[in-house]
Amino acid sequence: MTTRERAHAIARRGTVLSGVMLVALILVYVRALMFTPIERFQGPAQKIFYVHAPAAWSALLAFAITGILSILYLWLRDHRMDLAASASAEVGVAFSVVMLTTGPIWGKPIWGTWWTWDARLTSTLFIFLLFVGYLVMRGAVADPDTRARYSAVLGIMGLVLVPFIHATVFLFRTLHPDPILMKPDKPSLPGDMLVTLLFSFGVFTLLYVGFVTQRYALALLEDLRDEEAANRAVS
Amino acid sequence: MQYPDNGGYMVAAYVITAGVVVVYAITLWARLRKVK
Amino acid sequence: MREALKAAGAIALKDLAVEWRTKTALVSSLAFAVLVLAILFFARDPTAIGVVDVAPGALWVTFTFAAMIGLNRAFLMERENRALDGILLAPVPSSAVFLGKVAANLVFVTTVEAVSLPLFVLFYDVPLWPRLPALALVIAMATFAFVVVGTLLSSMVVQTRFAELMLPLLLLPFLVPPVVGAVQITARLLAGRPLSEGEGWLRLLLAFDIVYFGLATLLFDDTIDK
Repeated sequence: MTTRERAHAIARRGTVLSGVMLVALILVYVRALMFTPIERFQGPAQKIFYVHAPAAWSALLAFAITGILSILYLWLRDHRMDLAASASAEVGVAFSVVMLTTGPIWGKPIWGTWWTWDARLTSTLFIFLLFVGYLVMRGAVADPDTRARYSAVLGIMGLVLVPFIHATVFLFRTLHPDPILMKPDKPSLPGDMLVTLLFSFGVFTLLYVGFVTQRYALALLEDLRDEEAANRAVS
Repeated sequence: MQYPDNGGYMVAAYVITAGVVVVYAITLWARLRKVK
Repeated sequence: MREALKAAGAIALKDLAVEWRTKTALVSSLAFAVLVLAILFFARDPTAIGVVDVAPGALWVTFTFAAMIGLNRAFLMERENRALDGILLAPVPSSAVFLGKVAANLVFVTTVEAVSLPLFVLFYDVPLWPRLPALALVIAMATFAFVVVGTLLSSMVVQTRFAELMLPLLLLPFLVPPVVGAVQITARLLAGRPLSEGEGWLRLLLAFDIVYFGLATLLFDDTIDK
């Protein structure tokens, strides 16, 4: 298989996965909205949790993977890792937008305010800005090798930043509700709701995988096209 | 009603989530087609 | 090792000498500092918000922005004079170049801070002098944090279009832990609380300094065009 054929195969796999997961998302919606009980004190708005938390998870996963791929790129200097890292960053932006819009929409009815500048909201905002900065910087650097190096440097710096942001959050003692799931003995979310949430997490995770696969294939194809254009210009 | 009347927020959040995800999926698909 | 340190020192001195000749960045940073302090003082309802509430934030906004002005000029000058090519052709390890730049930027930023601080006391009338040693420690640690990260980022950004826009965009997320920590500790110090109350924040600052100094030194090599 030529590189181009391989890229197309990857694109196809990604598109199929994304397509299936989009259908699965419909199922998540149906389950969350119609077959999950309404929380007594918070009301229907509590259900935003079933899309907000998984979106946040996908965004953070995207970010972590961009960071890890950045390290791998500087170590192995494989150009494809740079392409994959940038793919993950772009998909991360999409999920971050979901996270940052659904978050305040959840916050308004539950806490009484759209935004609190509490440390956790602030740190997710800044992670979004890091993503945006990463992509803007990529757009501003023409040479692919320089772009890959700079992106990797920024990716690693950003990855290391996250534990510091979390420490800042912890020290600041935030308004954000305590994690319901991460308790050592058992999650405080009752059965039905937990199932909905886990289902949603699964769908969002695989949707991330599908999108990144597609975006990576796109990057490969664009790379090929640029290379061919450069070769034609030379000859 | 036992619970607070904040269904509007829920709808808004679910619509936005679907909107962003679907629009992004479409841009990916469209860009893949264009680069062929 | 000694060679590398000597080289770093030479680079630092050269940078500072060039800046001293024109003093443009120094003067604009100081003017900016005064403006920010003044604006933040007046931009509040004096009957509702006491000076002591706004003071720590005002101080650190001033320091942060002054630092960014200083950082941008460092590599901008290099780019204009193509001086960096000369340095890189010499057999100097990139870590020495990085150290030299960090040192020069540190001197620049701390100069601006040292002049802004009395202005701050003057305008805000906060009980700073009794807490000066502790405050100096916090200022040193936070300044080191943003100079280290800022020097690394500005070495990348200066090669791009829209360099002046890119640096704040890329740098600001990294400033959140050190600046939040610095503001928290400064607030406690100005309120007369003991430094030990800010112990968690101090540890955060120290960890940030150590980790990012190490990381930036390692990564600097990849920001240079070979």
